[in-house]
Formats: sequence, C-alpha cells, structure tokens
Amino acid sequence: MVRTGRLATDRIVLRAFESTDLEALRAYLNEASMIGRRYIPWKIRDLAPLTVKQTEGVLDAWAEEKKGFTLAIALQETGELVGHAGCNWHWDAHCPGIDLAISPAHQRRGVGAEVAKLLLAYLFENTPAHNVSSWTSDWNEAAMGFARSLGFTESGRIPRCGIRDGRFVEDVIFDMLRPEWEAIREGEDAHGA
Amino acid sequence: MALEGKLVRLREERPEDQPLFVELRNDLSTQGWNVALPPTYTVGMYVKRLEAMEFSYERDSARFSVEMKASGDLAGYITYSDLQERIGATVGIAMARPFWGTGAALDAQETLLGFLFCELGLRVVHLWSHSGNPRALGLAEKSGFAITGRVREGMYKNGRLLDTIVMSLLREDYFRRHPDLEDILPSPLQSA
Repeated sequence: MVRTGRLATDRIVLRAFESTDLEALRAYLNEASMIGRRYIPWKIRDLAPLTVKQTEGVLDAWAEEKKGFTLAIALQETGELVGHAGCNWHWDAHCPGIDLAISPAHQRRGVGAEVAKLLLAYLFENTPAHNVSSWTSDWNEAAMGFARSLGFTESGRIPRCGIRDGRFVEDVIFDMLRPEWEAIREGEDAHGA
Repeated sequence: MALEGKLVRLREERPEDQPLFVELRNDLSTQGWNVALPPTYTVGMYVKRLEAMEFSYERDSARFSVEMKASGDLAGYITYSDLQERIGATVGIAMARPFWGTGAALDAQETLLGFLFCELGLRVVHLWSHSGNPRALGLAEKSGFAITGRVREGMYKNGRLLDTIVMSLLREDYFRRHPDLEDILPSPLQSA
C-alpha cells in the first residue's frame, strides 16, 4: 500500500524538486545517452544539451503541472539525485501515464523498477486509474524490456514520431489494466516480494 | 486562397461559424473525449477563442471551416495539430449531421491530406479515435489510414469501456493511392 504523500522504498524516495537540484538535474539530462529519453516537458526540445535557463524552464514546467506531478528520485542514504519520475492525467484520470528517467550512473541497479512499482501502486490505490500507460521509442530496447518486465503490454506503435540516427523513430505504447496490476501484485505478495 | 476539394472548400474560420462549432462540440455523438466535457460550451467562449488567435509564423495547428462549394453551407470543421515540421501531424474532423453520408467528410479529409503531404511535406499523418466510433474509423480507412496502436479500455463513454485508437497514414501510402501525384520530395533518411 502506498500511503498518500509517501512515495519511498528502503533505498529511494520520490520528493519534490528544489532549486538546489538544478545543477545535478542538468548534469544527468545533458549526458549524451539521455538525449531522446529525458522525459522533459514536450515543448522543450529533447534534442540538444540544455542551458541552465532551459533547465530552470523544465523545473518551472514541472512545478506548474496541474493534473499530475514529476518528482525527484533521491537515494535515502545520501540524498543524491538519481533521476526523476512522474505521472499525469492530462487527458483523463481514467487512463493516466507514467514516465521516469534514471541518471546513467544509476541505471541497471533496480532503481527504475522500484520507482515504477511505486507509481503504479500510487495510481491504482489513490486515483480512479483503469489503464496506466507508458510510452517509449523503438530504438530504446532497454526501456521496452523494462516495461515488459514490469508486466506492461505493448499495445501499439505510432510510426515516424521523429528521426534519429538516420531512421524514423516509432513511439511504442505500453499499458497495464487495473486487473492486470492486481494479478501482478497478488503474485508478488504470494512470493513475499 | 482556400483549399479546394471536389465538394468542399477548407477556409479560415470566421465568427459566424462559431454557433455550428459549439453545436458540434456540445453533441456527445460528434465529440467523445472526456477532457472536453461537460457539453456546455457557448458561442461567446468560441468567439473569444477565435479572437484570441494572433498572427504568427510559428503555428503548429490549424482549424479549417468546411464549406460546401455548391451551396456555401457550413458543414463542419477539420483540424491538424501537434505539427512536427516536415515530419507529422494529427488530424481531427467534426461534421454536422445533415452532411453525414454525402461524401463531404471524405472530401474534406482528402483535401486536408493533400495540403499536409504536398504543401507541408509531412511523412506521416495520425488521428485518434475510439472503438465505439466505427463511422470515424471507416472514414479514416477510406483515405488509407491503418490502426497502429491503441490504449486498451482507455475510454469510458456512454456507459461503455472503449479502446482509444490511433491510426496513421504514411506518405508513400498516400502517394500510392494518388497515382496522379508524383512525390519528388527527397527522403530525410540516410541512403543505404
């Protein structure tokens, strides 16, 4: 059960961004491997390194979200910022979306899975969500594998959403229905996860 | 100059168009998105929205009024939005009931597609609909759109759970369906 106002595990906590996070946020957003998968507000082009002012714009846009939130992912032990994650229901609270980005230095350590499970539990336990979706790109094999490992179903691809490395990019839609999440949760409980 | 189709012309919207647009917006059978509810829009709201539009060369969307060429009657509107320059956009259409089944919607759709592919040079056009709207899906299929994705049970409308559906039309498929047109726009992709 995710208690309202507390999104945390033993290892990480999702907390509000502060202005003091600016440089750490900018540092990982500007790492080359993050380009195209930074999950920043869509009006800010996700193609090139961000200036300090642009990064402030990212924080400002997140702060102004009305139907959803984007939070900092910080390590419980050190407080280090290791990524950001959020959910939104701009279109309909019936079918919100989630997204997350982990700093390259902290990827492949299970942080993303912990965050995603927190967000899914938050949405299914604290909002009217029936279908939770998550979008990625077809070039991002790691993200697609990650979504499948969490129990998401690939429900479609939208062609030509951009151009990357000389080829068109497809957006890939993954989604999870409430009964599917409940079944996964029951399975984890049965195995003491 | 308006975009000329066979049956319709697509022109800029005008204040006098707004009562019909409000009627279409407030009709649950011609709009289905929860975000647009409740159906209590007024002509005053729509006129203000129109008057708030300012001149710009950075427009990423447009709404065209669909006017019947023979009679001059206003039949509905058709839009594109989320423009990615020279790559893609998303279209939408709403037509008044008297013009359903007349071919006006298909002609408006084809006229807008001609603009998007032959003037804006797009590589793909998308549209969003839902599984409870076979009329809209069928109209899209007539122009070559194919279902590429869905959000399962992503909509609740009229007491039913429906799939949200995204359909796409690729540039080469558009030109294949229009052999009278030649596509001379160079590909943005690396040659093999």
